[in-house]
Amino acid sequence: MPHPGVPHSWFRNKDGLGLWEGRGKVVATGVGTSPTARRWDEKPETSMGALTIIAIRKAIADAGISPDEIDGLVLTPESTTGVSNDPKTPPPPGWEKHFKMASFPQAGITRGDIDWLLLNTPELKNVKFMMNGAMCMSVSFVAAAEAVARGLTQTCLVVRGWHNLAGRYYVGVGASALNTASGPFKYSSIWGLPACGTTAMVFEEYCRKYGKSHDQMANFVVTQRRNGLMNPDGFYSQHRPEMITVEDYLTARWIAKPANIYDNDLPIMAALAVVFTTPERAKNHKQKPVYILSHGQTRPEMMGVTPTLEKWEQATDRMGRILYEGSGVGPDDLSFENMYDGFTLFHQFHLEGLRYAARGEKRGYALDLYETDISIEGPNPVSPSGGNNGNGRTRWWNHRDTILQLQGRSPSQIRKKAEIGVSGAPMPDICDALIWSATPPV
Amino acid sequence: MIYLLSFDIDGTMEFGDPAGGVTVEMVRRAKELGFIVGSCSDRFPSWQKKAWDSYGVAVDFWVPKHMLLDVKTRFQADRYVHIGDRDIDRQLAEKVGFHFWWDHEAVAEPWLAWLTDQR
Repeated sequence: MPHPGVPHSWFRNKDGLGLWEGRGKVVATGVGTSPTARRWDEKPETSMGALTIIAIRKAIADAGISPDEIDGLVLTPESTTGVSNDPKTPPPPGWEKHFKMASFPQAGITRGDIDWLLLNTPELKNVKFMMNGAMCMSVSFVAAAEAVARGLTQTCLVVRGWHNLAGRYYVGVGASALNTASGPFKYSSIWGLPACGTTAMVFEEYCRKYGKSHDQMANFVVTQRRNGLMNPDGFYSQHRPEMITVEDYLTARWIAKPANIYDNDLPIMAALAVVFTTPERAKNHKQKPVYILSHGQTRPEMMGVTPTLEKWEQATDRMGRILYEGSGVGPDDLSFENMYDGFTLFHQFHLEGLRYAARGEKRGYALDLYETDISIEGPNPVSPSGGNNGNGRTRWWNHRDTILQLQGRSPSQIRKKAEIGVSGAPMPDICDALIWSATPPV
Repeated sequence: MIYLLSFDIDGTMEFGDPAGGVTVEMVRRAKELGFIVGSCSDRFPSWQKKAWDSYGVAVDFWVPKHMLLDVKTRFQADRYVHIGDRDIDRQLAEKVGFHFWWDHEAVAEPWLAWLTDQR
């Protein structure tokens, strides 16, 4: 059964909307994270769907509530940015012994599916509100926030799983495997531009404009890995507890110069579920409520087939304005920022759009900031989650950690008091972000 | 004759991710027989060294995948070989004049035949 997407009118995507009507009416409480793996081993019990069910059950347990109380489910169905099976591919042998089958044969394997999830989590018997937040879990967080604020659901799960099949992730698959290219790809993809290529070009433009260099990224990348290795749920802490050095980073192989291999994030298997509810109901939840103050959205205004520095700066500036206008807070109120980092070379666009730790500057300061103390112990924690770069590709470590930071229980807890944080993903010009607070707005 | 063997890790070595068919014992044997051995991988070089140390193999080099030319400059040898599991391994090896073996070819330790040929 098809489920609705998020109504366009729910997104805050322009200036002048004022304070968000739902400000302080929605909170996050329980968080559930599945185990991680590098690739799927084709066993039903380690599938993306299985991981999603694990995450859901952990989130409900973490919130300390009964599954009966869940009356909403918002899911991001896309579970990769890389390769998927043909949608008609039947499940592997033995699948039906583990899971009830939905009409879509790849449900739980290479695509999230609300019907499949509900069939296989029979304890969720009171779910009435269902919605798909397309593309990124950021969209699902916004959808769930609006749904709770509008009274469409009282206690809502926000869910996303990621799959990673054996073999190559991008190279030689999907459109790249075809003999012809069509649509915008006939201009942008036929020369084999790797995924980070666009980001690399805009980063190069950034460095030229502001007189910066790729070497200035080193401390950020090292700090990302350090933060990620503190997270027991992250891929690297679970499977590759290896710390990167500045020298490792500076000598790394170029993928699309000036993006090197460690500027790219590693595809993994993982799932996250978070419980959203009203402040009133959260009084009965085990975890401290984290208030959503507002949200914002940007979408690209392309002038060609690739973005430009100007467009990314305009988009992230607009995101900053929308978030601060809706939430009633400003850059100086942020205790930390947890914007997206997969690829590392665009994180500074998000950061500068928010004017995070700007000290009066507007643009071109972030790489200098990276060379200061941006650790969780320092005055300006940058991406304390460790992000995709420090934990593996999910696009949600940043959101998850923002909630945990404001609850005071992050494994990479910042040393100063965590009062207000921001998280958003993915790209500088295709982004949904939220401002969160440890306390209700005054 | 001096021979140099460079090993990729992921998909090639038994301790890679994914695991490959080349064992630590094969590398250790090559080292003991006088080959210059090391790794050339996309894993952090600092970690490569720690990994070899943990297996008790005193490798001669541990470098990023694109630095085979640097290895060639540092070590004089009569034959240079890189062993890997991806097209990028082959591409980078052949670009700097290394012979290339796929991981599945290397599990037979074909380099040992060179010692026989030498006699």
